Amino acid sequence: MDIKSVLFVGVGGDGIITVSNVVAEACMLAGFDVKKSEIHGMSQRGGSVSASVRFGKKVYSPTDKLGDVKFMIATEKIEALRWAQYLSKEAVVIINDRIVPIINQIIDEDDINKKIEMLNVNKILNRRFLDDAKKLGNEKVANTVMLGVMSTFLPIENRFFLEAIDVIVPSKIKDINKKAFELGIDIAKEL
Amino acid sequence: MKLTKRIISGNEAIAIGAYKGNATFASGYPGTPSSEILDFFKEFDGVVAQWASNEKAGFEAALGASLAGARSFATMKHVGLNVAADPLMTSAYTGINAGFVVVCADDPGMHSSQNEQDNRYYARFAKIPLIEPSDSFEAIGFMQYAFIVSEQFDLPVLFRSTTRISHSLGVVQYDPRTLDNKKELKLDKNFQKYVMIPGNAIRRHKELLEKFENLKQFSNETPINKIENGSLNVGIIANGISYAYAKEILPDAHFFKVGFSYPMPIEKIKEFAKNLDKVIVVEELEPFMEEELKIAGLNIEGKKYFPQDGEFSLDIVEDGLCRAGFIKEKKSTVVFESVELPKRPPALCPGCPHRPVFDILHSHKNIFITGDIGCYTLGSLPPLSAMHTTVCMGASLSMGVGSSKIEKNEKIVSVIGDSTFFHTGIQPLIDAYVNKANMTIIILDNRITAMTGGQPDPSSGFNLNSKPFEPVNIAKFAKAIGIERVFEVDQYDYEATKEIIDREIETEGLSVIIALRPCVLMPKKIKDTPLVVTDKCIGCKRCLRIACPSIDFKNNVAIIDETTCTGCEVCQKVCPVEGAIVVKEGK
Repeated sequence: MDIKSVLFVGVGGDGIITVSNVVAEACMLAGFDVKKSEIHGMSQRGGSVSASVRFGKKVYSPTDKLGDVKFMIATEKIEALRWAQYLSKEAVVIINDRIVPIINQIIDEDDINKKIEMLNVNKILNRRFLDDAKKLGNEKVANTVMLGVMSTFLPIENRFFLEAIDVIVPSKIKDINKKAFELGIDIAKEL
Repeated sequence: MKLTKRIISGNEAIAIGAYKGNATFASGYPGTPSSEILDFFKEFDGVVAQWASNEKAGFEAALGASLAGARSFATMKHVGLNVAADPLMTSAYTGINAGFVVVCADDPGMHSSQNEQDNRYYARFAKIPLIEPSDSFEAIGFMQYAFIVSEQFDLPVLFRSTTRISHSLGVVQYDPRTLDNKKELKLDKNFQKYVMIPGNAIRRHKELLEKFENLKQFSNETPINKIENGSLNVGIIANGISYAYAKEILPDAHFFKVGFSYPMPIEKIKEFAKNLDKVIVVEELEPFMEEELKIAGLNIEGKKYFPQDGEFSLDIVEDGLCRAGFIKEKKSTVVFESVELPKRPPALCPGCPHRPVFDILHSHKNIFITGDIGCYTLGSLPPLSAMHTTVCMGASLSMGVGSSKIEKNEKIVSVIGDSTFFHTGIQPLIDAYVNKANMTIIILDNRITAMTGGQPDPSSGFNLNSKPFEPVNIAKFAKAIGIERVFEVDQYDYEATKEIIDREIETEGLSVIIALRPCVLMPKKIKDTPLVVTDKCIGCKRCLRIACPSIDFKNNVAIIDETTCTGCEVCQKVCPVEGAIVVKEGK
């Protein structure tokens, strides 16, 4: 029973559904069985959100098990911590170094950073991916840059991700998303 | 035959299954997690798909289409079937003409619902067949099958999904072009079958009981109740998503996978259990299957090991299998214990036109605000905290009518959205008028069903198929009832809105205020020049009280996030300092 899981976490509106759909499609193209879960409705109004892509020879459950997730992409730091219970020791964690404010709460960013440093996983990259995306000319591709980094750890060839971007992403922004993905691969080389 | 391979949601799979099952008519009312089914279905050639004002109307439209000869289905969320329970119960008596399926999606865990009722009981209540898929792949085939079962037994079929079926994606392979054969059926005029006056209904009830006896046998024979043998000498009876969790945790057990869950396949389960050391039931929410098995004299436990509330997960099912003695200990456990973090509840969007209304209501101390179901339910959360009840669709107005007759010190204010008003708000509005209720009704007419993803409603001016129509005018409608004090406001004009709301709350009698500013997200995303905070800010935090996600507070002053600010200017209107919040220049 060898099922791997990529958990996406963030804030409603961060674009988690699209990036997780790209991964699900890539997994399928690579020949894996895939299940994916996501939550719609109330939680999308700026609440904490997650989506999970699970792949392997045969997958039944669309949701994850605590302490069992090997890959996590977090579009926000507080949310990375909120879902940390799902991480295994061997996990690779890619975090967009940003905080989305919460209504009527004063957030101690130093404290959040300290807690992230205490995540003693196999690999963790906490980086301002928004800056990388801005350099490419579109803030919204930050998630794809993160995916590019993560792809180097996943047992799926690049071409399947690029093909998946073709299927999932609207045609106007396909090219910039592919560039963002390649940039992510370059960033991973520095790790 | 060329198969298409895709990864799709359960909701899309249900739509594909309906189309392949040769359904040509569908109606329903949006509700998470069922909302997307009709959106997918409408894209197929030669089908009619339309939203109804509520689930009862959608159910009956689909039943009417069945009588007219089309395979049809209705979609709704679990609580929607409460609204459609009236036609459900009696359509079990009348039966159908062409295949008719009721698709309802339950929400265990209440991701976006006010309760987590288990709708399987409706099948038992109405004595109709119940079909439950476990993933997207099954959803296609089971949906096709549901139409066949419906026609074979001349009954509506209840097709139950849950959040984790509807909103999970799975790999499917299907032939998109080949549709099932179906009989050519004409409009069926049959007095004894469809006119449920007592004389006819008495006979139809007896016929229903006869059909039910046949259904019991059918359940033992249908291929969607299937046995999967394993190497361990223990058995698990499971349905829907519970099957997926249990199968992944303990693939070596013997499984009885229940796809046709009412009536239960009692004889087949007796056979299954005969030579096994121990058999248990794994089912989310109520002990529905367990009760059926116990009534049949089978001593099979379920809720002894598994919770009866909330959504299942791999961890919950693994814990239950441990308690049942099926596994010794959990395979993986939490490595990184949860740390203390600020909660992140959902909030009204930046620029949401509901915000000023709740800010105004918040300033009133002596009012009782009955609320309703929609994005605007978020107005109940702090710091807006301007809603005292939320029970079910339309209840804001009807509860307000009752409260107003008893409560004499506090004025009753009822808040309801446009889609919810058309759903079940119309009747209590008439009641308020007829019974001379002393209340202020605020209809937040943002021209869309926003919470469920932006489905059009009678106020939108276009329907599910993007066909335009003259929007239903709520002000004219209220006046046509006979209500005199009817006012329209634009919430972005904060002062004028406040003046009218304040005045009407002070005025004895019934008044209706329609707040007309459209949704900031749908159908079109609205973004105007953002606002900025100047050095005149005194740090009073008044702007924080409107609960806008674009406003933060750092170093004792407010700051506005330009990327998300839509320029609605409501923060500027409530700010006590002239010039502390201004529209950004140079744009």
